[in-house]
Amino acid sequence: MALIFVNIVFISSILLGVIDSINKQSVESLFGNIIIEPKEGETYIKNVDFLEDIINGTPGVLGSSPHYTSVSILKKKTGKDMKTGGWQVKSVNIAKENNITNIHKLMVAGKYLEESNNREIVLGKEISGGYDANLEYLSLEVSVGDTIEAVFNNGVEREYKVGGIFSTKNTQADSLAFITEKEMESVLGSRDRASEIIIKIKEGGKEGAMIAALRKNGIVDEKIKLWKDYSGTTAGAVESFDMIKYILQGIAILVAVSTIFIISFVNVNSRKRQIGILKAIGMDKRIIITSYIFQALFYTIVGILVGVAVIYLALVPYFIKNPLDFSLGLVTLSVEFIDVAIGALFLLAAAIVGGYFPSSKVAEKNIVESIWGN
Amino acid sequence: MIIEVKNLEKIYSGKVSVHALRGVSFEVEEGEFMAVMGRSGSGKSTLLHQLGLLDTPTKGEITIDGINILKLSEREKTYFRLNELGYVFQEYALLPELNVLESVYLPFMLQGVDKKEYIKKATEVIEKVGLEHRLHHLPRELSGGEQQRVAMARAIVNNPKILFADEPCANLDTQSSKTILTMLKEINEKLNQTIVMVTHEPDDRKYADRAIWLKDGEIEKIE
Repeated sequence: MALIFVNIVFISSILLGVIDSINKQSVESLFGNIIIEPKEGETYIKNVDFLEDIINGTPGVLGSSPHYTSVSILKKKTGKDMKTGGWQVKSVNIAKENNITNIHKLMVAGKYLEESNNREIVLGKEISGGYDANLEYLSLEVSVGDTIEAVFNNGVEREYKVGGIFSTKNTQADSLAFITEKEMESVLGSRDRASEIIIKIKEGGKEGAMIAALRKNGIVDEKIKLWKDYSGTTAGAVESFDMIKYILQGIAILVAVSTIFIISFVNVNSRKRQIGILKAIGMDKRIIITSYIFQALFYTIVGILVGVAVIYLALVPYFIKNPLDFSLGLVTLSVEFIDVAIGALFLLAAAIVGGYFPSSKVAEKNIVESIWGN
Repeated sequence: MIIEVKNLEKIYSGKVSVHALRGVSFEVEEGEFMAVMGRSGSGKSTLLHQLGLLDTPTKGEITIDGINILKLSEREKTYFRLNELGYVFQEYALLPELNVLESVYLPFMLQGVDKKEYIKKATEVIEKVGLEHRLHHLPRELSGGEQQRVAMARAIVNNPKILFADEPCANLDTQSSKTILTMLKEINEKLNQTIVMVTHEPDDRKYADRAIWLKDGEIEKIE
């Protein structure tokens, strides 16, 4: 019974772990929790310093980082194959960015940007190629130290040395290139502006309340969005995983119900004679049926308790120490109370049904037939 | 008169229907020890099952202590068995998980009697059948004779109006059989307990006041 329960919760917890991993990557590598965008009809957010004062003065905000974004043509300048492609280049204020995203910790070659590296660019592995990139056929096939040319959307052309390559295991993040904020402002001829400001908050899940607080504090005209609004392809994956989770959970519950029913049926049938004797000496069949329901409930409750102990005391700590290395990230077991509660409720319901039907079938039988089988 | 049976018939339907009882009629007086005798297949056990409300006859009438028991609902029959009848079966019919004391106080417990009371009463009855030293033993730890004495204690603990015994000595050796039959006779005489006992052993006849002889589902003779 404990294993049946673990089976129900384990499958959904692994899939939830995958979903959590995808979501965590989106927040930590790309968007933070909240994204501020320019007013309707405008390309840039203006008065970024002023807005950041409001943002960082709002209780619950951990930090913010403004980005300029430019869809640019990147060209490989060295070697034989001159590959080219359109990629998104973002600027970062390194001091601020490092408090919001974790890309600087995920370098697989070279090193991350520094304030003084205005002629360097860091690339996601999908742009550079290599490191098991998913979009290898589109990549520039460059390495650290190579020179690439960037043609920005305002026509400015600049050459950069590839300073580092990063891998977040999130294709969307790994398709970005970063240069310093100072360099981007020089390219765009702009200052105190941004294409977006990403915000990280202290407690994930309270984004709605934070947005309300930001609006109240004076960010009125700019668009404010949630990280979920941007997850794009990963949101589709999350939805698919959610669907798979529900299907597998349903199958696990069906298997559990069938197993309980079979166990109960075999148990009751092996005690057919005893049920006949109890009826013969005057035990009401309702007492017999109730006792079998209680018996099934007892084993189920013990099974659930043992299962909960196995999940929380053994499996969860084990997967925290030894996360599964999926191509989309490290996955641990994400056990949600609602899944545990649903699993437990279905098992308890199955115990009642599994206790009731077989025992009532036997209890309805003729006493002589139950005891002597004729 | 405590039992009155009129024109009782029992047909087991199936591929080949079996006419186990064919219009049996007789009476049993209160306090009487009645033996139901006959060869194997004569309908003895079938008759006992109908009298003891363990089975439902195809036709006829059974009146126990003025009550037409065939008109009772299933639930009323259950309570009637619990409160008014006691059973001793050929193969003891003890529950393997219950020890001697638990087996005997079970009917009392079902009646909702206070725990102290039913333990006291059950212990007294167990003493009467000479098993006070086996109170906490399970059936598998007892001999056949001892198990049958436990079954007897369980049957009489509720002071039933009628005690039904179905071949109570069939699985016992001569000495144990004698002990059981003597005990039944004592219960009958000392407690004025009505007993209906099925037996195929002609020697057992001497313990009973009267005997009904069955042959092919019909009464051959009453003596």
